[in-house]
Order: sequence, then structure tokens, then C-alpha cells
Amino acid sequence: MYSVYHLLIYSRGTPPCRFLSTCEGVPFGLADAESIFALSSGHGRCGVAVVRASGPASATALRCMAGVSRSPPPPRTALLRSIRDPISKEVLDRGLVFWFPGPHSFTGEDSVEFHIHGGPAVEGLGDLIHAETEAQRRQALRQMSGELGHLYQDWTHRLKRCLAHVEAFIDFSEDELIEDGVLNQVDRWVCDLQAEMERHLKDERRGERLRSGVQVVIAGATNAGKMEQADLTLVVADCADLPSDAQQAAAFLQEHLRSVLPPQEQPETVFPADRCLLVLNKMDLLPEDQRLELDGELRRVSGFPPVCLISCHTKEGLHDFLTVLHSSVKTLCGDPLSGAPTLTQARHRAHLQQCFAAMAQYQRYRDLDLALAAEGVRLALTSLGRITGRVGAEEILDIIFKDFCIGK
Amino acid sequence: MLTKKLPPLQRFLSLVSRRASHAARQQYDVIVVGGGHAGTEAAAAAARVGAETLLVSQKIQTIGALSCNPSLGGVGKGQLVREVDALDGLCGRAGDWAGIHFSILNRRKGPAVWGPRAQLDRQRYRTFIQSELLSTPRLTVLEGSVEELLLSETNPEEPGTHRVTGIRLANEGTPISASSVILTTGTFLSGSLFVGQSESPGGRIGDAPSSAGLSHTLRERLGLRVGRLRTGTPPRILKDSVDLSLAHLHPPDSLPTPFSFLNTHTRCKPEEQLPCYLTYTTPGVERVVKESLHLNCHIQQDAKGPRYCPSIESRVVRFPGRQHQVWLEPEGLTSDLLYPQGLSMTMPPDIQLRLIREIPPLHKAEIHTPGYGVQYDFVCPTQLSPALQVKSTQGLFLAGQINGTTGYEEAAAQALENLSCYESLWPITGPVGGVNAARSALSMPTVALSRTESYIGVLIDDLVSRGVTEPYRMFTSRAEYRTSLRPDNADLRLTLKGFEEVGCVSPLRYQEAVRVRDSLQEAQAALQTLSLSSPKWRKALPDMGMSETKSTVLTGMDVLHYNDVTFEMLSSAFPESLSRHMEFAQRLKIEAVYKPHCDLQKKEIERIQKEENMSLPQDIDYLTLPVSMSQEVREILDRVRPSTLGAATRLEGMTPAAIVHLLNYVRTAAERERRTQRHLKEERAGDVCKRGVLTSVK
Repeated sequence: MYSVYHLLIYSRGTPPCRFLSTCEGVPFGLADAESIFALSSGHGRCGVAVVRASGPASATALRCMAGVSRSPPPPRTALLRSIRDPISKEVLDRGLVFWFPGPHSFTGEDSVEFHIHGGPAVEGLGDLIHAETEAQRRQALRQMSGELGHLYQDWTHRLKRCLAHVEAFIDFSEDELIEDGVLNQVDRWVCDLQAEMERHLKDERRGERLRSGVQVVIAGATNAGKMEQADLTLVVADCADLPSDAQQAAAFLQEHLRSVLPPQEQPETVFPADRCLLVLNKMDLLPEDQRLELDGELRRVSGFPPVCLISCHTKEGLHDFLTVLHSSVKTLCGDPLSGAPTLTQARHRAHLQQCFAAMAQYQRYRDLDLALAAEGVRLALTSLGRITGRVGAEEILDIIFKDFCIGK
Repeated sequence: MLTKKLPPLQRFLSLVSRRASHAARQQYDVIVVGGGHAGTEAAAAAARVGAETLLVSQKIQTIGALSCNPSLGGVGKGQLVREVDALDGLCGRAGDWAGIHFSILNRRKGPAVWGPRAQLDRQRYRTFIQSELLSTPRLTVLEGSVEELLLSETNPEEPGTHRVTGIRLANEGTPISASSVILTTGTFLSGSLFVGQSESPGGRIGDAPSSAGLSHTLRERLGLRVGRLRTGTPPRILKDSVDLSLAHLHPPDSLPTPFSFLNTHTRCKPEEQLPCYLTYTTPGVERVVKESLHLNCHIQQDAKGPRYCPSIESRVVRFPGRQHQVWLEPEGLTSDLLYPQGLSMTMPPDIQLRLIREIPPLHKAEIHTPGYGVQYDFVCPTQLSPALQVKSTQGLFLAGQINGTTGYEEAAAQALENLSCYESLWPITGPVGGVNAARSALSMPTVALSRTESYIGVLIDDLVSRGVTEPYRMFTSRAEYRTSLRPDNADLRLTLKGFEEVGCVSPLRYQEAVRVRDSLQEAQAALQTLSLSSPKWRKALPDMGMSETKSTVLTGMDVLHYNDVTFEMLSSAFPESLSRHMEFAQRLKIEAVYKPHCDLQKKEIERIQKEENMSLPQDIDYLTLPVSMSQEVREILDRVRPSTLGAATRLEGMTPAAIVHLLNYVRTAAERERRTQRHLKEERAGDVCKRGVLTSVK
């Protein structure tokens, strides 16, 4: 279970957080089995996060990422360094770096600590130009080329058209032949956009989770770690504790779940399949028939989360467990490769929410004051433009002259 | 203003020529070349500021002539007229004097986009402008054609590689010198007139072409980049030959609204106003256009015409199979002509006649003057500073169509903008006088109107920082801060500044603006102190549909924001505190509705102003700048050389990424040292968290 915890690697910068499902793709020598690295400080928002690497590759990490020259730095001394991506050399962050040569370290091995900016990027909601570091900007631009980018570009395009038609109505309808019902069409477009944006905003933070990682809690009778607002709870039980009768075992496990999980996580009837997993360890202690009976019973009785029988001793069932875990995590984060693209940045969410709210201003003033209604569409476009790029008046005029025959 | 007795034109002309003969004077502060909308406004403004000014026009008779449509204002353009008036310009008052059909366009679309507009009597308009110029002290009008510009050694203390010091007139050859020369030659710069397949030099039918020397000087000696644009005007139609019963009557507003902040009523009485008529093109019109395209030189040329003021030919070619609107507008109270707006055309005159007769009310119409096209040179306005001074040439300013704009209002607006050229002049000529005062004055910052405070600023900024690819016309959609830049508040935005900072506003107008400002503030304060709970409001204003069920406390300003509440209602409910402000009932209502939105915009405006103030060094070598930027963006920047980061963001073809690079580069260059020191300090403090905030929001 410890290894699941270590699937998380936080490194702020580009991208701010990475979720690596396996050790593949882990840069430099840290992929070597004897060296480990992990976020050693708490999760969530914090001023400083500490990432610790321990093992023979620590020195390499120090050299590649903190730009420390060949001779090792003085031990146990704080150094202010730019922390770079070891391959692209892109600056990820600036922070303090400590070098603890073994054996005088916590683990006894060579180890390195990176003290970096913790939590999500601190960001104002002001203009991109002012609020963002170049690294964040590049990150955003990269995302923009993907599916999410296409979605936002499509919205921008449609919103531009809405604005162009409102502006055409304002600037030209007195002198020119602007087709009837231009505004009614805009009403429909705005409504559609709002509905789509609302659905997108209601993705329950899947994309942001993908970006910042899934918080997993492993709950158990002893040494249970429970974190507020955990995304996923694994309840581990010992097969040796189970009564041999399947029904009794089910009742026992129900009681166990109840005692282990905090009340707010206990639903009336059904456990949300993607929020909780029941893991029964030491399955090798159960005879084959009892195992099948128990499995059948737990599937039959309602009120159980998905159950995985495993044995850490014989490795039996581990593969199935990882498959189940994988699919739960996928549901929680959304699969970036399929389905409607989800939000990946709190910043995007904020801009989209502003955009959404501004469109309501259009509707509020639609029949009262078209200048203020148009202002709503302008604000919506400005907010969206903070993600996809500024839209100038000239672009709107281009659409106007393309869509309408205007002369004076 | 309206009560002033205008001198008869004859007497006026004799006065002018007398003045002209007095042109023994060979030295002026400012010389304005051209007597159109830009030239007349520029000359009057220069004189108002205190400069000894000479206006040179080819033909004194045509000063203040409306070359094209007999109307002023409209959506967007009306805002410009209001702003020019707020700066004490001529066109608003001239419009009130000459208007014969007033209407507020967009009346139902919200006060920010109302478009004050009027049909004008051509004769009255010209008379008013000429009379105003005549009565302006320090202003001399001279008939003549400018042969060339006088150039001399540059002043090494100012930027620029050339210097203009005056003009030389054709024939006479006498040089007249001036500290500043303003060219407002409109369509006359290498102008060509087109009708059918014939082409002749000129800028307006009936007028001599301007001298080739001037455009030679601009292009060859000053090295200015010029482009070519085209425009056109419709045939004028004899009113008697038109069957108006077949067109839709379009009456004016029953109560004319004056353009000028100084006027409470227009010269034309409500019942004296003339109507306009609306009709439509037919398939026959399209057929005639298509059959005659081969006889139509103008339409085949590749000079760019306006997309929004296209000739009937380009309309038909671009949007075939549609009906197009044609407005039949009066040319004056006594004129026997009609102006068919929407029928600008350049085909041979006999085909023009065939074409218009395809339109039902015009089926027997007779043409008085055929329509024609004009092609002309304009100076790419990105070569100008925000004061509309040619960047490379000391003492040379341009305004009007020569900068690639179209429209009377746009021209007038520019004329006021290059007021800042007089800024440096006026202490010399004004009461302060003396060389020392002038020297200190020269270091004064020039006054420029920003796009955050006026449509004039939007116009100028668009011109000088983006340039033009087609004749530039004002639309409200160009103004980002449209809700703040309303026609109703142009006086508050500009008159005070025009008096206090620019010096182009008369004391009389200034006092009026101060009175308005104070009264509005007082009235708003009175509304703010009127604070009641919502049940009490409901009792006081039974007609109001207030939805608040909770007992919230609302001020008079809050309540006035409601759709169905008018200031009149509040005033009759609380006469003791409000009735004396009834004069401003409409403005107060508008203020109340727009205030929350304007307050929001104010924040955005402050941010923009920060960007505007972030100047880009003029010596940056964009082509080799060591940042990641596409070649295309580099070339745009190199060509335009925007003066501020704000101007750079509005360039066509700029990408957000390029702006960020530019910002970073400029900042890094300036702040590298400071940043190192900051880091050192923080390192000592060991305060990582705090720095975290700093680096990520930088």
C-alpha cells in the first residue's frame, strides 16, 4: 500500500503536478529500484512542499535538477536554486535544496530535499500577462493545443459570432437591412453556450484532480490514516479475522466498514463505487471454497463497495486489485483521452465561471438596454479570452462584414 | 449661439478676401492646409488655443462644404460629434444650426449607444462654418494652392530627421513660415476622379486638383509611406422627378435633440423639419450593375474601398440576390435635390440613369450630377505620433482623410486631437510669453486623449498603432469602454480637461460644464442620502415593481437603477430634496443605471492605463530580439514600433505569447539588477513562502 502513496510525485512548474502511474517515464537514474522519491510534506495547499529523494541516485538528482556542479555541495546547508526539468532544463521552480550524504541522513542513504512551492500555483485572476509566469503560460498554451483547447476555441468562436451579431444590430440596424430575428438567434446561441459551459463546469473537478493528483486514504482498524476530503478510501481487512460462514463474514465486514469509516462517508444504502474500495488481505489463509462463497455473498449483499481479495504474501489477486484501483482513479479524474474534455486548471474554472456569469448579464439586459446586454457578451468573451487569447474589435467587425451586407 | 446674426455670404466673402490681401504677414504659429471638416476644426482650435493661425484653402467658397452626404452624426459618429463639441469644436453647433431632420438613432437600445444624427441643409452648414471662422480671433483665411512644404535643418533637441517650417504657394511663390503645418488635404493627395471609363485628376468634382508638388514632397523628400484608397458618392437626383409616394416616409424625432451641450434647442423648429424616405433596390438594379461592370474602371481597380460604405456595385457583387436599402435624403430646406444614400456608383452617367430608374420611386428620376469615384493617397498613419505629428518630421501634422479615415466626424475629431501640437506653442503666443516660458513649456508632456476616455482617443489610437487597410470609420463596437464613453457625458469627460489641460475650451463653456458637474454631483449625493427600507420605498413609489421581499435598505441611486423608476417619480415623491435637480432627470437616470458597470470598467481602465504607461524603448531591435517570437510578429513590431505595451497588444497579428515575451524582455532588461537584489534580501530572510508568491504572480 505504501507504493500507491508513492505514485504521487509533486513537482510544481511544468506541469505543476505530475501523476505517474508507473515508474516508466521517471527521469534520470531515479528509476533505479533502490532509489525512491516522494512528497514528504502534507498534501493540499501549503506554503512549502518538501520532496525527498533517497538512495544512490540522489546525487544525480541534485546535479541534474538543482544545477549543482560536480563536487557535492556542503552537506545539510540550504541552497537557493532554480529547480529544472532534468531533460528539458526548463525551470520548474525556485526553492531551497538540501544535500544529506549518507550515512548521516534520515534514511541512512544519500538523500536530497527539495523545498518547493506547495499546493496549487498562487495566481491572481488578473490578466494573463500580469498573473502568469512564463512556465505557466507555456503550460497553458500546450494544453490549448489539445482537446480542451479545441473546445475553448469553439466556444470563443461562437461567442465572437454572438457578439458580432449584437454589435451589428447596435451599429447598423438603424441604417441598414439587418435581418429580422438576429437577436433571437443570439438568444439561442447564448443559451446553448450557457448550457454547455454549465455541464463542463459541473465535472466535479475531475480535470483538476488529474492535474493535482488523487488523494488516497487507506483506512483500517489499526494505523488507519484518514484525511478530510479524501477522494478515494481503501478499507483493508484481514481475512484471518473473518468468521468462516460467509453470511457472518459479510455482517462482520459491514460492521467493520461502519466502525472504520467516519459517519459522513457511510451512505444510507450503497457505497459509491468510485469512492471506496474494500480490500481483503491475506486471502491465502482462506480455503478456496470459503473464498468463493465469501466473494459470492459480498457481491449478493447490497451495501458493499467493490471488494478485492488479495494476498500480499502470494501476490494473488494483486493484479485484479490494481485494475479495479486503476478504473476508480480513472473515473475520479476523467480519462483525458476520451469523452468531454474536463477542466484542468483552477484558473480556467475561474475564467469560465466569469464567462458564464457574464452571459447571464446579456439575458438580464436583453430587453432593457442592449448596450449593457452587449457588455455582458463582451465580458464573457474577455473572460474566455483570458484562456484562448484576446479578441479585438477588428475581429468582430470582420465577422459583421462577413455575415451582413452593410453599407451606408 | 443660435441667436447670433450671420453675415450674408457676400459680405463674408469680401471680408475674407480682404483678409487674404492682408496676408502680407509671412509668419504664423500654425498653418492649416485644407478647408474641409478637419481643416476648419483644426484652424479654429489652433486659434482658440492662442496660436496665430492661417487657413489655406483652394477655394474659399467651398470651406465648410459637405462634399458627400448631407448629414452629421449617427451611431458612433454621433459620439464623436458630441466629443468634438465638448472640446468647443464647431461641428456640433453647426449641426444644430443647419439641421433639418433630427433623430436619435438606437433610441431603444440603451443610452450608451444612442446615435444623435441630423440631415443638414448644405448651404446653412457652410455659412455657419465660414461665419465662425471669420469671427475667430487670430485666424486668417487665404485662398491659394500649396505648391510645396518648406524644409529646413532639424532641431537637434527633438526627435526627427526632417523639419517643416512653412509652405510655398503656387504661382506667387511666396514662402509663408510657421512653427507647425497641418495638412488636411482629404482626398486631394494624388486624387483621381472616376466616372465610367474616364479618369481625371482631382479630389472633388468641380475643384482643381491639388498640386503634385505636395505629394511629391511627402513621398520623395520626407520618405513617407503612402497607400491608396477609394471612395465614392452617389448621383444627386432632382426632387421633382421622384415619386415619393412609392417610398416609405421616415419622419424625424418630434422633438429635435441638439448636438451641442451649449444648445437647448435647434434652429429648425420641430414642425419645420423635413422627412427622409426609404426604398429598396430591385433585381433590375443588380442586372444593370452586372451588365456594366466592364464599363466601370473604378470598381475594377484594386485600391481598397470601405466595406461598410460600399458602392452599389460592390454590394451587388458581394451580396447578390438581395434587396438593399436606399435612403432618399433632403439636401436642404430650399434645395431641389435629393441624396440617394446607398447608391454610390461610378458607372457611365447614362447607365447610372438606367440603374436608378429600376427603383420604383425613381422610375422617372432625373440626375442632376452623376455619381463618381475618387481614388487618393493617404499617409499610413502608423508613421504618426498620438498627437498626429509625423514622427520623422518636426512641425508636420496630418488630420482627416489623409490619414486613411472616412467621414466628417472622424475628420473633425482628428483636427481636435492634434491640438497637442499647439500645446508647445501657446505659451509663446499666449499671455505668458517670452523665451523662458516657452522653454519650460516645451518640456511639458503633450496632452493626448486616451481610448479609455473618449472615442477620439479610440480613433487616434487605432490609427497610429494599428494603421488602416480600408477607410476607417467609427463604430461603437470599436470602443472597449462604450458603457463609460456615452454621448450624454462627453462634457464631463472632455470639457473640463479641454479647458484645464489643453486650453481649447472657452471660459463660457467651461463654466457651464462645471455647473453641470456640480449639479450632477449634488443630485447624486441627495439620492444617496435618501435611504429607505424596501417596504417604505414601495409605499413612496406605488408604481414601482420592486421584487425585494426582505426589508433591505436602498438608497435613491439604487432605486433609480430599477427599470420602471424614473427620476421624475422620485422627484415628485421627495420634492424637497430632488425637485431642483429636474433639469438633469435624464442624465441622472442614465448615471444610476450605468454606474455599477462603469465602476467595474474603471478598474479595467486603471489596468489598461498601467499598460499604456509601460513604454517600449524606441530603439529596440525587434528583428534580433533574443526571445522566442515568430518572424511575422517581429516584422509587425518592427514596422509599427508601438510606443507602449498597450499599443502593442492591439496590433493586428500580435499573439498573446508574443506580448508576454515582450513584457518579460522589457521587464527583465530593466529589472534584472533589482530582482537580484531582491532575491539576495529574501535569501537572507529565508522567507521562501513569501518569495513564492512574488515569483508566481510576477
